[in-house]
Amino acid sequence: MKRRKGWPRMHRVFQQPFKTAVLLLVWGWLLLLVLTPNLLVVGASVMTRDPGSFLSLPLTLDSYRQLFDPLYLDVFLNSLYMAGVTTFFCLLIGYPFAWALSGLGKQRQTLLIFLLIVPFWTNSLVRTYALKLLLATNGLTNNTLMGLGLINEPLKMLYTEGAVIIGLVYLLLPFMILPLYSVFDDLKRELLMASHDLGAGKLSTFLHVTVPLTLPGVLAGVMLVLLPAMGLFFVADILGGSRNLLVGNVIKNQFLDARNWPFGAAASVLLTLAMAVLLFAHRLSQRRLGEEAQT
Amino acid sequence: MKKLALAGLVAATLTGCSSQEEPQVLNLYNWSEYMPQEVLDRFEEETGIQVVYTTYDSNEAMYARLKLLDESGDYDLALPSTYYVSKMRQEGLLEKIDHSQIEGFEKLDPELINLDIDPDNEYSIPYLWGTTGLAYDASDVDGDEVTAWEDLWDEEYQGRVMLTNDMREVFHIGLRVLGYSGNTTDPDEIEEAYEKLTELMPSVRTFNSDAPRMPYLEGETDIGMIWNGEAVMGKEDMASLEYVYPEEGIIVWLDSFVIPKNAGNPDAAHQFISFVMQPEISALISEEIGYATPNLAARELLSDEVANDRTSYPAPADLTNAEFQEDVGDDAMQVYTKYWEMLKSGQ
Repeated sequence: MKRRKGWPRMHRVFQQPFKTAVLLLVWGWLLLLVLTPNLLVVGASVMTRDPGSFLSLPLTLDSYRQLFDPLYLDVFLNSLYMAGVTTFFCLLIGYPFAWALSGLGKQRQTLLIFLLIVPFWTNSLVRTYALKLLLATNGLTNNTLMGLGLINEPLKMLYTEGAVIIGLVYLLLPFMILPLYSVFDDLKRELLMASHDLGAGKLSTFLHVTVPLTLPGVLAGVMLVLLPAMGLFFVADILGGSRNLLVGNVIKNQFLDARNWPFGAAASVLLTLAMAVLLFAHRLSQRRLGEEAQT
Repeated sequence: MKKLALAGLVAATLTGCSSQEEPQVLNLYNWSEYMPQEVLDRFEEETGIQVVYTTYDSNEAMYARLKLLDESGDYDLALPSTYYVSKMRQEGLLEKIDHSQIEGFEKLDPELINLDIDPDNEYSIPYLWGTTGLAYDASDVDGDEVTAWEDLWDEEYQGRVMLTNDMREVFHIGLRVLGYSGNTTDPDEIEEAYEKLTELMPSVRTFNSDAPRMPYLEGETDIGMIWNGEAVMGKEDMASLEYVYPEEGIIVWLDSFVIPKNAGNPDAAHQFISFVMQPEISALISEEIGYATPNLAARELLSDEVANDRTSYPAPADLTNAEFQEDVGDDAMQVYTKYWEMLKSGQ
């Protein structure tokens, strides 16, 4: 295209509306698809259950009171435990993985990141069913182990808490690795070398330099794993035998089967609040790191 | 700019697609594996109406979705079980059936029409009926020992039992074992059944209402509940899968076609019901998926093998103590739901 006179001004005029449009789109998106649904959930949680039309007045906090019913408290704690174990294993695998990844050449890094993301091209529900084939009594793992003569009786793996945790770790591991990879990638080699030069051993460098500097990544990873793990009800349904193992199962049952929307909404709000607490902790740790870096 | 242009192009193609003339569509909301593909294909061939088949695995889920989509008319046909027909009818969720558009109603078993759930069948047309009974894998379980629901509590079956993922059915067996009606509305009896069922929970490996035969075929469970049609289908793949009519009484249900309020294409819905009621089609369905057809003309067309299969078509003696599922009302449902949640949370 030939450059014409007055084009730069035209350009600016064009750019302004474009910028406004983009901003409007982003804000509109957030308002419409993030804020509104969340407000609706909060609204639903303070209403009264109605067998006819799902929700009705008066406003009440009964649903929140119900959350402290020993039954649901137990489900919540058990769910937290399962999510905690999942997060632990994700961290156990993800941390060294991300560390090793950041030490590789750029091309290999890109390839490995790509391989990490490829499974996302398949729906997670489908992948969970695939996992079922691996864990089943007549499944691949048992057949292989029995074929090799390592076991005589098939292991009962499917429909156990262990199977659910395997499923959760499998689905959520990339969410742990990616933020960790980004902090390891930013980690300055000079700092590690300086630590060595100042006489710190490998372990000491790891504990006093690497760990604090990668902590924001760890927290980000924990956030991305811990709470989603509590909500992935289909994993508990498919691999755990449709028991109420996760908060997500309770929420789904309340909405679909029991038709107690206020209570289901209150349980969702509880998860959102837990997320907010974790976000706050994340910010706090980042701020502390910032202060340390300045002093 | 290039990207913008591309986005525009994509948008244009998308809208282009939808502006083409659409073929007629029937949105059928049904239980999974509850209608042979052949029937859908033949209906499409004969009428040109395309069937979109969406599935659910519990009455509760179906009801919640229809109730929520009340006004939208997303579904033209659904198949609630007995007690949900009366519930949905009373709540005004159903469109009346126009009997002048239905062919073959007179061929239905007189015992299965004009029931309390829907007098004069104003809102529903029976599709299939069936039973929920006991199943066991004869290669792992001694069949002589399996005669009653009570046997599921036997300690030797720990970790090998399967239950359907259906609140009413699971409580039904708990109640029957205690000698109560499976349709009770008495909170004390429900609580007692819950107590009884908690004793069974350590034995329960999984709940399944998607395809209750699968845990048996996969070798995960050896004994438990099953729907008779699933038992028939399962036996084709695994000859050792046996079906038992328990002493305390089997659970009987009837699934009926209903047209949800504001259905988008009620004419197609009527057409589909009439199509299925043809004796030849009803017979094909019963042979294919193993449940009993209420269509007497179709029963005469069944092969001897199917007609004499006690799993699909129980002998009168099999129905001793049998109970038909009934609507228990919202108050009792709340009680059931509470204990169901507790049961599944392992309390």
